[in-house]
Amino acid sequence: MEKYAVFVPKLVTRRENFAPGHRACLGCGEALAVRLACKALGQNVIIVSATGCMEVISTPLPYTSWRVPWIHTLFENTAAVASGIEAGLKVIMRKGKRLAEEVKVVVMAGDGGTSDIGLQALSGALERRHDFLYICLDNEAYMNTGIQRSSATPYGASTTTAPAGKVSIGQVTWKKNVPAIAAAHDIPYVATACPSYPFDLMAKVARGAAIHGPAYVHILSVCPTGWRSATDLTVRIGRLAVETGVFPLYEVENGKYKLSIDLPQLRPIQDYLKLQGRFRHLSEEIMKEIQNRVNEEYAKLKEKVACA
Amino acid sequence: MVTLSIDGREVQAEEGATILEVARDNNIYIPALCYHEEVAPYGACRLCMVEIAANGREKLVASCLYPVEEGLRVKTNTERVINNRRMIMELLLARCPDSEVIQDLAKQVGVDKTPFKLEDKQCILCGLCVRACEEVVGVSAISLVNRGVNRQVASPFYEAPDACIGCGSCAYICPVNAIKMEDIGDTRTITMPNPKMKKIEFKLKKCKVCGKYWAPERQLEYIARIAGLAPETFDVCPDCRQ
Repeated sequence: MEKYAVFVPKLVTRRENFAPGHRACLGCGEALAVRLACKALGQNVIIVSATGCMEVISTPLPYTSWRVPWIHTLFENTAAVASGIEAGLKVIMRKGKRLAEEVKVVVMAGDGGTSDIGLQALSGALERRHDFLYICLDNEAYMNTGIQRSSATPYGASTTTAPAGKVSIGQVTWKKNVPAIAAAHDIPYVATACPSYPFDLMAKVARGAAIHGPAYVHILSVCPTGWRSATDLTVRIGRLAVETGVFPLYEVENGKYKLSIDLPQLRPIQDYLKLQGRFRHLSEEIMKEIQNRVNEEYAKLKEKVACA
Repeated sequence: MVTLSIDGREVQAEEGATILEVARDNNIYIPALCYHEEVAPYGACRLCMVEIAANGREKLVASCLYPVEEGLRVKTNTERVINNRRMIMELLLARCPDSEVIQDLAKQVGVDKTPFKLEDKQCILCGLCVRACEEVVGVSAISLVNRGVNRQVASPFYEAPDACIGCGSCAYICPVNAIKMEDIGDTRTITMPNPKMKKIEFKLKKCKVCGKYWAPERQLEYIARIAGLAPETFDVCPDCRQ
């Protein structure tokens, strides 16, 4: 999907369901991801948005960026609210008030709302097989409130609650693998995506929305503010995350793993880390440790792909 | 601005817009396969037929082609429209019984089987690929040839077209995913849903820095030519370009 060059982008819909003029930071990868996802989703959706950057920047009262039905929920109950809406829609259909087209319930939550606070509700909704799409916009910390660490923060990253200094290297735990947790629920569709690969992202969101049953799409969104990176490097850092193997793009359809971009050779991890201020303090040793871990994880993923 | 009613709902629309566009903007569902906002409407699939009232008479028109008028009354779900839609769906289902898109759409309009003889075609002859190739890419490598039952999408003389740059727009726009595109190693293969045509193959360009194959050579030559760039611009892939 990624090999489309100049002409196919002209064919992507012009309609912006996520309107411009919102208050995202300069170079926000998450706003880009939401914009592309909304293009892929179209009009027949109800968006359930957890508290987080996307909620704050897109709906400063009395304005809104959403040109589709949108509801704001707390961190912890996003998936539960989505299940409720989906159940409500089912009842409307059953009572014979037929809707012309199927309306899809789509959750958009950050990494904090997914991997920390909302995990229990997410697990419940996946287990109950609600027909909804869960999009996790992962910027690897609680950026909205001021860069506090979350369980999605990678090893060695400096955050305000895990600061790097003489005593600590910053975050001392590894990133939680939420796509694997979602896949462990045996749901029909799990995928990882990155807005630096726009066609891949749109195809995955559209696929997730088309599937009957729960679907989960994990989107890595570069956050220049929290990652302390240059605002014009957002797309490049996203691509480097994929090319170094830090965030491999793959799909899990009915338990079968498939790599979306199969790299013959991974780039060295330094290419990715050097561009970000949050990893500035890392010594060669720690970088080597991270490199080993990335290689290990990538090999594990390759094994799963080979099994399918 | 003009005011018209669709299914009894008063809606405002800009002059020159078509009924289908206005309906979609107002979340009124009309199925269509051959419509794409970026290419000129064509009216091939006939799924978007709606009933309009004009001069005291009601008639069926293709909503993707019919421009809105002041006081127009449109109905999208009368018995006549629905019967028409079902018949078209049955015909499409008989033509492409294996297509997932067609099966889903058929289910949505309430058709689950077809009384017609099954064929094993993949293409529905909507002409979107042909129109995209001409209007968006500007090369016209493929076209609709022959008439009636022999109509098909083909390149001149069914050979690998000289004009084709391998951009994949046709594969992307195809509403029933009949055109397939695949990159393996240094070759891109595009397969048209036409048994008379062989697979079209393109050589991919290798990046001088990372060694990745990233775009068809002919496409890069074409872009360099129309944009007035030096051909060396594309020796390096966008990831390695500084």
